[in-house]
Amino acid sequence: MLETHMLNPDGYQNVVEDGKTVGFSFEMRIPYYRGITLSILRDIKVTVDGKEYPRDALTVTVNDETFTLEEMRTVIHNRWLFGQFGTVTVHTEGGLAEGDHDLSVTVVVAPSYMPFQLVKSVSSKFAI
Amino acid sequence: MSYDIKRSVSLYSYQEAFFTGKLDLEGCIRESAKAGATGIELLAEQMVDEFPVITPEFKEKWFGWMEKYNTAPSCMDAFLENHIFDNRTCTLREQIANMERDIRIAHELGFKVLRTLVSTPMPVIEGSLKIAEDYDVKIGLEVHSPFSLNSGWSDGYMEMILRTGTKYFGFIPDFGIFCKQIPTKLTNQALKNGAHPECVKLVQDAFQERIAKGLVKIKYDTNLGAANYAYRVANGQMKLMEQIEKMGGNEADKAYAGASFNYTWNDPQDIIDNIQYIFHTHAKCYNINEQYEETCIPMQEVIDAYKKAGYVGYLSTEWEGGEMVDDASELCIEQVRRHQECMRRCIESELK
Repeated sequence: MLETHMLNPDGYQNVVEDGKTVGFSFEMRIPYYRGITLSILRDIKVTVDGKEYPRDALTVTVNDETFTLEEMRTVIHNRWLFGQFGTVTVHTEGGLAEGDHDLSVTVVVAPSYMPFQLVKSVSSKFAI
Repeated sequence: MSYDIKRSVSLYSYQEAFFTGKLDLEGCIRESAKAGATGIELLAEQMVDEFPVITPEFKEKWFGWMEKYNTAPSCMDAFLENHIFDNRTCTLREQIANMERDIRIAHELGFKVLRTLVSTPMPVIEGSLKIAEDYDVKIGLEVHSPFSLNSGWSDGYMEMILRTGTKYFGFIPDFGIFCKQIPTKLTNQALKNGAHPECVKLVQDAFQERIAKGLVKIKYDTNLGAANYAYRVANGQMKLMEQIEKMGGNEADKAYAGASFNYTWNDPQDIIDNIQYIFHTHAKCYNINEQYEETCIPMQEVIDAYKKAGYVGYLSTEWEGGEMVDDASELCIEQVRRHQECMRRCIESELK
């Protein structure tokens, strides 16, 4: 199943801007069998060590463009390709402490032909 | 009756190998050809990076691969993204424009058939017929379980075919409508998720009972959710759920029971009855054993119906066992190979 290969084990890092740690990021693929416009990627939920981050703390970077989840609602000319890694950045001051962490990610995709939204969750341990 | 049944592979089958980078698009085509297929079915949205743009460079590569591996484009699978925004459904004009885009892409890549999904509204299909004719690409509506031929649902489309006289619309049966067992891997997954063996047996017995009694087929309804719900009620899903509840069944039991209604057994005579409207086929498969048998679809019986009907077209392997196992990136290649061999034997065997 695609979920097995969703998270990039080498994709975890703190994000540093102007010498300050402003958040952390990880790389993932969309566990659904075709490329999608960002507009049908309806939600991403990120929990680390039991703490769920607010929706507006997240941005997604795909094909060199970065969007908030709210902005993604109208993005129909950027396709997250099937099997492509994109970057999810969680904007949180100080990022994550060095050491081991538990990540859980939920992705909500709404393919038009499905009567329901596709909800896929995976968890993984990682280290910063 | 003479027939000409060719073998194709839907590259959908290789999705996990592509997803992980084990196979690229050329690799998928190469594996299909190695397995004996001469037709290639493509989900452009899955494996063409520049989609929906078809660049001259991509076209050159595509036709180069077709020549190199001695294959031909069989069918392109389209997905009408008519809820591309979350606040509205696309208008009829927008949806037809989307169909036109996909018909044009199919034409550019040499496909004569475009698969469309059961969720494609009738006015969108009707509004696309002229475009299909202009590009000489037939629109095939997938008959995906629990949808059926010779049903109230398919009658809705037959009415349109007869009324318009179109030669550019028909059906693409998916072999999920010919299941005599619930796929083994679904059962294994349910057990792994904590389903009770006695509940699993109950669900399997109910499945066999539905086969014995005959399916109550799905009706035509522009509200697909309502049609699906009515189908499930008519075939006893609610009763089954109550029994599971009484037995103290858990979520895994209920999920298994619900999923069992996604698979159906229809009489292969349905193929013979509708053959003039069938120009492509998804040979869906879940598990092919070392003896080259699909463990829940009686392939010889189904393919014999295609022979009796005088079918001219492809049977396109669509392996869908991957979502039931942890890692299918290698398994998919072997399963497709076995399924192609299974079909070769069934096609070449003498019709009794």
